[in-house]
Amino acid sequence: MSPVSATYWGISGYIIFWVFFVVAAGLFVQRTWFLFRLIRLGKPENRFDHMGQRINNMVREVVTQRCSLKSVTRKDLAGFGHAFLFWGFSLFFLSYIIFIGLAGGFGLASIILGGTFERVFSSILDIAGLFVTIAIVWAAIRRYIVRPARLQMSAEAGIIMGMVFGLMLLHFLGDGFGLASAGVTTSWPPISGAIARLLSGSSISNLTLKHVYYSLWWLHYFLILSFAVYVPRSKHMHILASIFNEIFIPLGQKVVIEPIPVEEQENFGISKIQDFTWKDLLDLYSCAVCGRCHASCPAQLTGKTLSPREVIHNLKEHLLEAGSALLTPQPVTAKDGQPKEMLGGVVTEPEIWACTTCGACQEVCPVGIEHVRKIIGFRRNLTMSQSKMPESAQLMLRNMQSRGNPWAGVQSMRLRGDWTSGLDLKILADGDTTDTLFWVGCTGALVERNVKATLAMAKVFKAAGVDFAVLGDAETCCGDPARRAGYDFQFQVMAEQNIEMFKSHGIKQIITSCPHCLNTIKNEYPQYGGEFKVVHYTEFIADLIKQDKIKLSNELNSTLTFHDPCYLGRYNHIYQEPRGILQSIPNAKLTEMERSKSSSFCCGGGGGLMWIEEQPGTTKISHMRLEDALKTGADTVVTACPYCLQMFEESIEHKGIQSKLKALDLVEIVEAAMKQS
Amino acid sequence: MHTIICVKQVLDPEIPPAKFKIDPETKKVIPPAGVPPVISVFDERAVEAACRLKDKNKGKITIISMGSAKAADVVRHTLSMGADDGIVLTDDAFENLDSFGTAYVLSKAIKKIGAFDLVLCGRQAADWGAGQVGSILGEMLGIPIITLACNIEVTGQALKIRRIVRDGFEVLEAPMPSLITVSSEIGLPRLPGGMGLMMARRKVIPTWKAVDIGAEAAMLDKANSHTEVTGLSVPTRKSECEMITGVTLVEAAGNLAARIIKLV
Repeated sequence: MSPVSATYWGISGYIIFWVFFVVAAGLFVQRTWFLFRLIRLGKPENRFDHMGQRINNMVREVVTQRCSLKSVTRKDLAGFGHAFLFWGFSLFFLSYIIFIGLAGGFGLASIILGGTFERVFSSILDIAGLFVTIAIVWAAIRRYIVRPARLQMSAEAGIIMGMVFGLMLLHFLGDGFGLASAGVTTSWPPISGAIARLLSGSSISNLTLKHVYYSLWWLHYFLILSFAVYVPRSKHMHILASIFNEIFIPLGQKVVIEPIPVEEQENFGISKIQDFTWKDLLDLYSCAVCGRCHASCPAQLTGKTLSPREVIHNLKEHLLEAGSALLTPQPVTAKDGQPKEMLGGVVTEPEIWACTTCGACQEVCPVGIEHVRKIIGFRRNLTMSQSKMPESAQLMLRNMQSRGNPWAGVQSMRLRGDWTSGLDLKILADGDTTDTLFWVGCTGALVERNVKATLAMAKVFKAAGVDFAVLGDAETCCGDPARRAGYDFQFQVMAEQNIEMFKSHGIKQIITSCPHCLNTIKNEYPQYGGEFKVVHYTEFIADLIKQDKIKLSNELNSTLTFHDPCYLGRYNHIYQEPRGILQSIPNAKLTEMERSKSSSFCCGGGGGLMWIEEQPGTTKISHMRLEDALKTGADTVVTACPYCLQMFEESIEHKGIQSKLKALDLVEIVEAAMKQS
Repeated sequence: MHTIICVKQVLDPEIPPAKFKIDPETKKVIPPAGVPPVISVFDERAVEAACRLKDKNKGKITIISMGSAKAADVVRHTLSMGADDGIVLTDDAFENLDSFGTAYVLSKAIKKIGAFDLVLCGRQAADWGAGQVGSILGEMLGIPIITLACNIEVTGQALKIRRIVRDGFEVLEAPMPSLITVSSEIGLPRLPGGMGLMMARRKVIPTWKAVDIGAEAAMLDKANSHTEVTGLSVPTRKSECEMITGVTLVEAAGNLAARIIKLV
């Protein structure tokens, strides 16, 4: 007999069961409907393509818990805890439907309970419950005693941990009393069975056992209902939202920057909730404030005010607060406390300009939140609608506008085509065509230090017999710094001009020296009809080595460490090629920095920050990265990005350790290692 | 309020000094390859001054630029900043005019445009730097001239101008229309917003030739020129570095101050 089939004070247990269920379900639906309506304030965005693949992705991430396990490191094992909680709790969720819903509420106890099925399932639940309990205790110790920096103290976390702990406790005790009152004293399920044996051995009367069992059962039921009511009202709406967020994550590039909609007239980018797309708003619900982004953000780690965790969390609070006013048709009364301005209030300008767009936050985010495009959305509004930006950003954008490159004045004492003088290169004139273009990039063509790498590149290509051409002084900027700074019109103008030029020269393949150019031309020019085969020089050289067109036979006698440029690694997944090239050099020893490959730490130069002044903090991002390189004991830090190279050189000079560590572009090493014929 | 601004397209002053070449024979500057010309920085500030007036008082801004057909680029830039219309004055006869000839062409164009309340020029051009055109143009138009303005306000039917002088500034009042040359102290020109860029892309910039503005051939004849270039040379740059030291920072600063006083 189940506790529901009994009568309490003359009222049928079924009535009590269903009345409370309907109340709880009502409260659950009311809240989730409200949250759903808030999401619909966002702009439309098509994330419903390839639904099969999307659902498959979600299942692969969520069911296997790859989402949380992928970020497990020796220092941060919390992902295991989450996985055990998830798996364990999923089993419990199933059990609530079967044992409490079907067996209790629908009176199917006689079919479901008392058989092998119950014994096996309960045994599994016992073991799962043990794992969940351990995970909860561990989580509590971590949160309240160990206190890792990425976690933020919150009452919500304590409440939910208490609830889950209570559910486990009620499961063990409830089943224990239930089994004891029914006189079952088997060794399976192990924990509740042991409790039952203990109770049967005591002198407690059977009736008392039954009464306690019934009380515990109802308590358990009410706690489950409270949990369902509480979850969508707390940050644990994550449980509901993140499943959907995993379905709607971008399928290709992690950081998707959409062109400005043509119909946009005055309000560019993001300044208020309605400017976000619905996916951006779903992102906010999905966040469980785990803080992995906070712990990997270069701006945050160097003491800037930006914390991706806080940006997302604050935006969510703002959405819940200001959004309800937006849902009611009558205008908000101006008297008591207008909701804060979102841009400038909830998210401040120093935070927005501190981002290097390195993408580390999105890489570690277990639920697929897209931080970077929100920051760029804010920048778009600041630069294009409000003309509010740091003076250094303005200078860079003016230079791009009038001079076609972000470098100008004393920073560049060269002209675009200067580096080609004295080299026997095919420089494209109007009407010339070529299959393969070597796209040098502004920094590689204009800045003294980077020109050395460009020259090395041209020599390597020539020595390998590559048939290629360059644009010389006709090359302009790819537009990347303007796009990252939010000044998208400038980007669009440059993209369109460049695409037209590429087409006029019949270009099929483009080799870039700069990962930022690579990302822009390869992944963003298609938005404007420019589809070309774009490769980074590390891929191209790796291929030349494979084809035996380049032989790296000179010994190097050096210990190298490779710094993964964000736009090469995280944005374009090129990790192996540069390492493969370095490893094929005789006597070159390659060591890895602790933060490498997909968890590489930005040099500080991305997102336009090569020109935009770094926000005040405790140290410069580049200086922090230099420490990573020094810890490896390498004598050379190798990179494959002109910004990274400059950043390393600057910080090495700042520290005065030129004799201890040098910074080189990978192509300079390749050139040195090639056999001189 | 209708403001007309004269802007000039110049060789990028940011090109590295080592790349700056002249031809002493023809007495002309050889523009280096791959360096797009830019708007004269002083004229850009005049546009900024006009945009600020427009922000406050509404009105219309018309840009005129005398030069090659490529000058349309800088005119478009000013349109994106907030100007309403732009006209390019280009004609073989306009080439190599001196300040007087240039002012004459501009005055004819302004007369063709019609009624206006204010004419703005940069304090000088960023290439030749003569600083003459504004004043001559004012004379030709027969309106008051105020040079080196660092702030312009509209007060009723008059203009209140803050003008830079050697040891500070003076405040003047002038009627409308007047001609004002704008100094750098007015502040940084704005970066065009998204709206401005979009509007500017759509606008048509007409080209006027000598016949369109009714310029007399005699006035454009080089033989009647008021100035003659007798020679052209690149100035030689010499820089010396002297290290001023001191045992303490205070002493070093003292020595530095003493050295600077000697120089002045």
